[in-house]
Amino acid sequence: MALLELQNVNTYYGAIHALKGIDLAVNKGEIVTLIGSNGAGKSTTLKTVSGLLSPKEGQVTFDGQRIDGTPAYKITEMGIAHVPEGRKIFPRLTVLENLEMGAFTISDPAVRQRNLERVYTLFPRLQERVHQKGGTLSGGEQQMLAIGRALMMSPKLLMLDEPSMGLAPLLVEQIFAIIRQLNEDGVTILLVEQNALMALEVAHRGYVIQTGTIALHDSAAALRENKSVREAYLGEL
Amino acid sequence: MSESLQILPQVLIDGLVVGALYAVVALGYTMVYGVLEFINFAHSEIFMFGAFIGAEVFLLFKPMTGVPHFVPLIIGLILSMVMAGALGWTVERIAYRPLRGAPRLVPLISAIGVSFFLQDIVRMVWTAIRGNWQLGTQDLYATGISFAGAQIQVRSVMIMGIAIVLMLSLSIFVNRSRTGKAMRAVAQDRATAALMGIDVNRIISITFLLGGALGGAAGALYTMQYTVVNPYIGFVMGIKAFTAAVFGGIGNITGAAVGGLCLGLFEALGSAYLGPLTGGVLIGSEYKDIIAFSLLILVLIFKPSGLLGETVGEKV
Amino acid sequence: MSGIKNWLAGTLQDPRRAPIFAGALVALTSLFQVLAPFNSLAFLLVIVSMLVVGKAATSKWVKLGLAVLVTLVVIPVAGRQNGALTYLCVQMFINIALALGLNLVVGFAGLLDLGYIAFFAGGAYVYSMFGSRQALEFMPESLQHLFPLGGWWFWAAIPIAIFVAAFLGLTLGLPVLRLRGDYLAIVTLGFGEIIAVLAKNLDHPINLTNGAGGIVGITPPSLFGYKLDTTLSFYFIGIVLAILTALAMYRLERSRTGRAWAAMREDEVAARAMGINLTKYKLMAFMAGAAFAGAMGMLFAVKQNFVSPDSFSFLESIGILAMVILGGLGSLEGAVVGAVAVTVLKLLILKDLADFLSMTVKLPPAFNIPQYQPLIFGLILIVMMIYRQQGLLPGRRPTEDIAQLETRTPKKNTTGKSVGA
Ligand SMILES: Nc1ncnc2c1ncn2[C@@H]1O[C@H](COP(=O)(O)OP(=O)(O)O)[C@@H](O)[C@H]1O
Ligand SMILES: [Mg+2]
Repeated sequence: MALLELQNVNTYYGAIHALKGIDLAVNKGEIVTLIGSNGAGKSTTLKTVSGLLSPKEGQVTFDGQRIDGTPAYKITEMGIAHVPEGRKIFPRLTVLENLEMGAFTISDPAVRQRNLERVYTLFPRLQERVHQKGGTLSGGEQQMLAIGRALMMSPKLLMLDEPSMGLAPLLVEQIFAIIRQLNEDGVTILLVEQNALMALEVAHRGYVIQTGTIALHDSAAALRENKSVREAYLGEL
Repeated sequence: MSESLQILPQVLIDGLVVGALYAVVALGYTMVYGVLEFINFAHSEIFMFGAFIGAEVFLLFKPMTGVPHFVPLIIGLILSMVMAGALGWTVERIAYRPLRGAPRLVPLISAIGVSFFLQDIVRMVWTAIRGNWQLGTQDLYATGISFAGAQIQVRSVMIMGIAIVLMLSLSIFVNRSRTGKAMRAVAQDRATAALMGIDVNRIISITFLLGGALGGAAGALYTMQYTVVNPYIGFVMGIKAFTAAVFGGIGNITGAAVGGLCLGLFEALGSAYLGPLTGGVLIGSEYKDIIAFSLLILVLIFKPSGLLGETVGEKV
Repeated sequence: MSGIKNWLAGTLQDPRRAPIFAGALVALTSLFQVLAPFNSLAFLLVIVSMLVVGKAATSKWVKLGLAVLVTLVVIPVAGRQNGALTYLCVQMFINIALALGLNLVVGFAGLLDLGYIAFFAGGAYVYSMFGSRQALEFMPESLQHLFPLGGWWFWAAIPIAIFVAAFLGLTLGLPVLRLRGDYLAIVTLGFGEIIAVLAKNLDHPINLTNGAGGIVGITPPSLFGYKLDTTLSFYFIGIVLAILTALAMYRLERSRTGRAWAAMREDEVAARAMGINLTKYKLMAFMAGAAFAGAMGMLFAVKQNFVSPDSFSFLESIGILAMVILGGLGSLEGAVVGAVAVTVLKLLILKDLADFLSMTVKLPPAFNIPQYQPLIFGLILIVMMIYRQQGLLPGRRPTEDIAQLETRTPKKNTTGKSVGA
């Protein structure tokens, strides 16, 4: 059974119909990527899952439970971590305080400590900067902090919104390596990317979203070979 | 001139006491502004309500001459904090929460409405129960001690001491406690705070509860200082405390404290020396309020981020 | 009940029946008013019938004719027996103009002004200071024989009061240009208080305002040698000023300036991107709003024959804000209806209610309702914000204004939706 399932999800911003019947599933242990051009509805999909938005129609199921309409903080408690687009770290909190914020729902100090050590092993750079204010980090460091902060809540599902955005190629490589490693450690991942090439390389399966509807879905390998995907998203003509 | 210098210590102490009151009220504005970017216009009336509760408690103990003064003081302080905190919480639930996400001026107008509403309700209730909306109460700690050539009232020292304790506790709470940290997160980014598992509505309620409690405490201290309260004491106090908050850098807890003390000192010096300095043309006590309003306007124009606005660390 | 409602709605929409119905209604209520000038209910009925006529599907001329009939004949005739009635109407006209003026600043331009009464005070004081024996207190000996100014100066003073108030508007506007909405509101409040403190304390070193005592004995206006010192004459001056204000507002709203204000109110960033000079339009809004208040301040001063700082408190500013909000921000009809409703509530209904209560249930003095105007204004503001932000009679749709503006101004730059705010 799928860990996360969206059925006919319709989400609006006021009168704007942003998601027009999305069907999507993420199985336990998978990396699934959602690709699409700017404004297609990728971020809206993640926000609808994490409860920042609630769908007007359709349902979202996580771990066998309906979660649509549940407030965001409760969805987080259920084990979904959402790393928002643009990182959204707390600029006036230190790196350590940012990470502690991530563990807000974890009451066991031993677990918090274990998660913290795990984050430090994944991102040694963060450990060097524990007392620095989040807002003073570089873009790459902020992305690491945002991912690290999400890992602090021991998520069952990690949703990343364009983690490669605005990063130098070398850093992008690093981030994707970490995504792969996290998955090998057992974290299920839903990855939103405009960088379709890299995303389809790490992912098992992929969905292509176009103006609020799922245009295609297949295994990542098949999507990589798909002619229209290559033309539209992989920059080939 | 030597005569004016003689009164200086007294002037400074008066300024600091009033400044401490401004500071505690300013904390309520600054916390709410830090978290919601919203001027809680009704905060001044919550302060005024606290002052009435304090006055009632002090009055209750007036006939009991044997009871030491700290008993009514502590009970008055706690009760006004609890009641004013509850009022702050209720006001948010009824008059502000339904307006979350509306254009900025909408909740502000609602808050102005709440302010007038509370002012009149207090007037109505106390006219009904006491026959008069002006309430005088007993002097607490009205004895004086001599210090550096000045007569200091014991209560002045007590008021400053309590104000400092309140400010330090708030600062520790916001910086150290789990809820305090959640408050800081909500202040910086509400949506992301929710993604951390923080119940944003609960944090906002707690902010109003704490802000209200501080306003209530300031009210009880005001009663202690002036011994007479009426429903209109909130208005001027509110403008001044807001000025103090803006002057120090709104959203900044240390800023509110510094801003309050500075404003208290400016005013005390202004009322004492404006007359002599202008050869009696302008009488300081009459233009005291203008000092605060002008300071507010000047700060907003030339440095809207306030004195400590840029030190991001201590922001709520 | 619903039968009556349907019949009423049907009649009002039927172009043949509507004028007859409207005329009959106004005639009936007018008759009642004239026969029973001391009856508050009669006056309420006249006002309600005017509102109903406003909704009727009939020509402008019929409506205008009925309005002229009521304002120029019925009220003055009834007012000959009951001066309180005309007096109430004068205050109502003043309030209508004030609400329209504040509506310009808050509703059109989106600048929340909490010190609007200061401009009203400016106009009232300027005329009172020179148009009473107060002038003898501060004018040099050699000029004293000119004062107090004669009644015909009233007319010359109107442009002066307008100018002074607009200048006050400029002094307020200049420093607050860069401020964001909520800070701006607080500064305007502080400004209003500063004016009040000045009025209260400028009795020394030179006695300009006579301080808290206020100024009495203000020369009434005169026209061709006739002294216009009756309530009825203030009534007619009030009508003229209120109508002039309404016409000016109507023109302004549809002018380029009005559309620029609308754009500015909806989104400052986008407005600037469209090439709108925010500085200019903000100052214009403050100055124009102030000017109307200044002129009405003069009428207020002569009507009361007395000005004092008490008439210009923060509560008065909030009272006008309540009128504008009740009617609907940005709506001319709204401002008028809001002003009428609040004035009638304040000066008529609350008083009658209090009399009624004191005769029937003998409430303790704590619950003497008319004392609690602040409470009522407060409730109006809260309830309107929570349940009906657009007011009772919502204004024109702002997006249309912006769309029109966009087609006329060359676009320098297009921004997307501004973030945050
Ligand atoms: N806050 C918002 N208000 C109104 N419309 C929005 C908002 N956020 C996104 N949209 C619209 O919803 C659609 C999908 O946006 P989004 O999910 O952010 O796209 P993506 O993440 O794929 O770039 C776009 O047309 C966008 O303009
Ligand atoms: Mg996106």
